[in-house]
Amino acid sequence: MALPGMNIPTEFPHFKLVLVGDGGTGKTTFVKRHLTGEFEKKYEPTMGVEVHPLDFTTNFGPLRFFCWDTAGQEKFGGLRDGYYIHGKCAIIMFDVTSRLTYKNVPYWHRDLCRVCEAIPIVLCGNKIDVKNRQVKPKQVVFHRKKNLPYYEISAKSNYNFEKPFLYLARALAGKRELTFVEAPALAPPEVTIDAADQARSEAELEQAKMVPIGDDDDDELNM
Amino acid sequence: MAAPADIAKAFTAHFYQTFDANRPALANLYQEGSMLTFEGTQFGGTAAIMEKLANLPFNQCLHTIVTQDAQPTHAGILVFVSGEIRIEGEEHMMKFSEVFHLMPANGSYYILNDMFRLNLS
Repeated sequence: MALPGMNIPTEFPHFKLVLVGDGGTGKTTFVKRHLTGEFEKKYEPTMGVEVHPLDFTTNFGPLRFFCWDTAGQEKFGGLRDGYYIHGKCAIIMFDVTSRLTYKNVPYWHRDLCRVCEAIPIVLCGNKIDVKNRQVKPKQVVFHRKKNLPYYEISAKSNYNFEKPFLYLARALAGKRELTFVEAPALAPPEVTIDAADQARSEAELEQAKMVPIGDDDDDELNM
Repeated sequence: MAAPADIAKAFTAHFYQTFDANRPALANLYQEGSMLTFEGTQFGGTAAIMEKLANLPFNQCLHTIVTQDAQPTHAGILVFVSGEIRIEGEEHMMKFSEVFHLMPANGSYYILNDMFRLNLS
């Protein structure tokens, strides 16, 4: 869903993408990496949202996500239903350097699912470029319980930027063979990720997939 | 005795200056019987109220009062504020409304009721 005055494509599909997660997890930094979206974004003060049109080119043609980002109201409490209504897909973001932001993921998931039933959702752990991470790959289990994909990202370095969008595009199009054929223009990286660190966390992620999930983790919300 | 409108004006100026400069000091303005409803969640007593306010996940913020109205109540003063708040790291300010019910105590006033909402649809 676009805001009034935004250019709505008539010749190719578009979807409202709801971006949620605690304040300070890097949602705005993440969405701002996509340069054409950043140029054409529009702010709606009565809802407190900034909508970024994020275009991607796939082997089935172009596709646009109208990505909704908050003005910071999640720092005061939950979001209004209007933020979620008509959401066709979602990204839940937490910050791997802050345990609390991961602990709150179940609450974001609950709020999202209360309004948007059965939409594709991706879980993203951001800031993996930061040395002192507090949430290790094996501690991230929420997505396995809810059967969501999980991607580790670093908005500032563009690492894995396209991954969540690719998953959502495939799910929305119902085409597993969908791929992006052209990389969107991204802001230049502000940091670089240590290749060794990256390899280590990717290996840890693979290992974590093999470990059975227990009931003793910090998923406080039983749903 | 000062008019309710004047007391309200002095109070809100003090409240938001303290909120923006030294949030923990707001504890002096509440008492055990005080209630805060903050974006729909209710807190009772100074300790619970201060835990909420002190732990809001931003350090710097700036409130600007746009309008305020006051009325005398049976024993105290009812104050309604509309304004704007800007928080660190965010590009856009947000509009808010806040209602205070002030009660006299020891030659001053404390907040018996406090209701805060961001004005978002």
